[in-house]
Amino acid sequence: MKLNLSILIAVVVAVVSYGLYQLSYEVQKLEKDLKQLNANIAGNQEAIRVLKAEWAYVNRPEKLQELATKHLPLLLVAPYQVAELDELPARAANPFVQEVTTIPLPRKKPRMRRGPASPPVSGPVHMATFKKASKERIVK
Amino acid sequence: MTDGPFAVSNINVTASSAAANRPAQTSIHLEGSAKETLEMGRNRLVIAAVLFFFCFVVLAGRLVGLAISGIGEDPVAAAEPEALPVAVEQPGSRSEIYDRNGVLLATTLDTYSLHADPTKIIDAEQAVRQLRTVLSDLGEATALAKLSSQRNFVWLKRHLTPGQQQQINNLGIPGLFFKKEEKRFYPLGQLAAHVIGYTDIDNNGIAGVEKSFDGQLSGKEGTTRKPLQLALDVRVQHALRDELTRFMSAFRAIGGAGMVMDIKTGEVIAMSSLPDFDPNRPKDFPKDNKFNKTTLGVYEMGSTFKTFTTAMALEFRSVSLRDGYDATNPIRIAGFRIRDDHPKKRWLSVPEIFMYSSNIGTAKMAEAIGPKRHKAFLRKLGLLDKPVIELPEVGAPILPPRWNRLETMTISYGHGLSVSPLQLSAAIGAIVNEGNYVNPTLLRRETGSEIEQKRVIREQVSTVVRRLMRLVVEKGTGKKAAAEGYLVGGKTGTAEKAVNGRYKRDALITSFVSAFPMHEPRYVVLAMLDEPKGNSSTFGFRGAGWTTAPIVSRLVSRIAPILGIAPVDEESPSIQKALHIPIYSREKKHETF
Repeated sequence: MKLNLSILIAVVVAVVSYGLYQLSYEVQKLEKDLKQLNANIAGNQEAIRVLKAEWAYVNRPEKLQELATKHLPLLLVAPYQVAELDELPARAANPFVQEVTTIPLPRKKPRMRRGPASPPVSGPVHMATFKKASKERIVK
Repeated sequence: MTDGPFAVSNINVTASSAAANRPAQTSIHLEGSAKETLEMGRNRLVIAAVLFFFCFVVLAGRLVGLAISGIGEDPVAAAEPEALPVAVEQPGSRSEIYDRNGVLLATTLDTYSLHADPTKIIDAEQAVRQLRTVLSDLGEATALAKLSSQRNFVWLKRHLTPGQQQQINNLGIPGLFFKKEEKRFYPLGQLAAHVIGYTDIDNNGIAGVEKSFDGQLSGKEGTTRKPLQLALDVRVQHALRDELTRFMSAFRAIGGAGMVMDIKTGEVIAMSSLPDFDPNRPKDFPKDNKFNKTTLGVYEMGSTFKTFTTAMALEFRSVSLRDGYDATNPIRIAGFRIRDDHPKKRWLSVPEIFMYSSNIGTAKMAEAIGPKRHKAFLRKLGLLDKPVIELPEVGAPILPPRWNRLETMTISYGHGLSVSPLQLSAAIGAIVNEGNYVNPTLLRRETGSEIEQKRVIREQVSTVVRRLMRLVVEKGTGKKAAAEGYLVGGKTGTAEKAVNGRYKRDALITSFVSAFPMHEPRYVVLAMLDEPKGNSSTFGFRGAGWTTAPIVSRLVSRIAPILGIAPVDEESPSIQKALHIPIYSREKKHETF
């Protein structure tokens, strides 16, 4: 009985201390991770700050103006060039589209009769057509 | 020992006879010193056992405590999760400054400074050679001398860029070290230098809003650290600085100043003073460049003051638009002669006096009001007191020592009273803003926030003065300020510079103060040039109408689309009607046959 109790206590002590040490190591590891993460966050914040400063620097109006005068044919905005959305005219119907049915009908399907000739496309709107890919493309 | 029953019986015997045996055992009686020794030994044992027991209990308790709570060396780690969201909002040790649209104007960056321990450097010459591949501006001789010295700490270069730091790190030279430091960085450079200001080497604000909001930006003295958002718009600011620079060089002026202000809210959208400096390296610029001409400089503003005189005369109902004064002959008073720059030599009506900028007419107008009321009126417009704005560099106006009839007459057309361009803009803003004075501010106002207003003139007078200002640009001295579609109205001002108490005839301060769009004014634009010289494009003239009015024209065309002011058709009947003003001229029409 006495022996059993001793053994039991010894086992309990061993288990508890193992558990406690394990817990302790785990906590230490987590704390290390946390430290690492905080350091990472601080590093990233610093990097973001540097990038923001750099963004402001490369976007300074002086530089943009220099680039715009170099690459764009833009002058001062004249009053007639300023308009509001409401002032835009409603989009006119495309004169080349006679029927609604002319748009995307699959024409090259087997056993399907050829539909009406495709409308002459010369305006700004290009209709979608169902053309077979050319052979060259397939070879490529 | 072979048979169990014996053992059992033996135990049994022992157990049963235990009570009987014990007296036999304890019957060994020790007497005297032997007994005492034994007792003492036992007592000592007990004491030792108790002591050890307590020690072990303490140890065990500590062990459990440590396992649960950690070693206790990391209280920071436990506290950090709470501190983290704050750290996200406020990186760095000094907060950022933004413009009204959130463009970064000033930030604090960690930089690395390179220092070395020469005793650990193996080959100084090679180290310098390698370093010079990254830092081309490193002086070879000085660096070599530093690295060969017998000290164990020398600075090589302060504030490296991250790229440079990486490259130097990659060189892998032993004996070089980096030290983390903080540096205030202004990405936009010279653009808004005078407003933002700059900091000293320890990141204390010493000029501009960096100084006036030092507490808020650094979090010193118990204030909570918070980023600052200014009312400036960098796009407008750039347009202003760009145009001022362009015309400054075109007219070889020695300086320029300008500002754009929202008259409804008092927000300063742009403020520039030229020549300026780069706040990233303020030491490289002369002191004159750091002088903010817009707020700290006070100047005799010239004819722009006629706006106030006319508004005053109309406000006190001393004249009506039909009335006028004879401007045929110069006024002689106390040894002075008041004459016109654009003499018409005839009777001029009030609109004509304003539009042709007649000194004689304006002086007579002010004389009719009298010095006392004149002074009170200008004080109401904030022209006689030091203005209040969030900058440490603010100049107080210079008032004449006496203010009598003569002074009233000269101040009526802008001589004898020096004010800053900031005061002038705010006062003009009040005149055109239905007579409500709004104090200028550099901070962005939230839309819908209440704005403190002070009535200075009647609304009807404001409407009339608006039309008069529009008339100046349409037909008077400021024709060159017209920006098609934006209905600019303004007043030219040409003043001789007072140097050592005398007026210098060849040195002018030309200014143009304007507002747009004139049918419902929203922004005040002021441009000023210091000592412009005429050129061939102005036929040698250097007055405000020739030198500063074009600045406003170009500036308004550039900034109006940015500020969301829609252009209007100037010829449309509604606009014509809104800005119509009868001139009541008595000019004799010459008949031609």
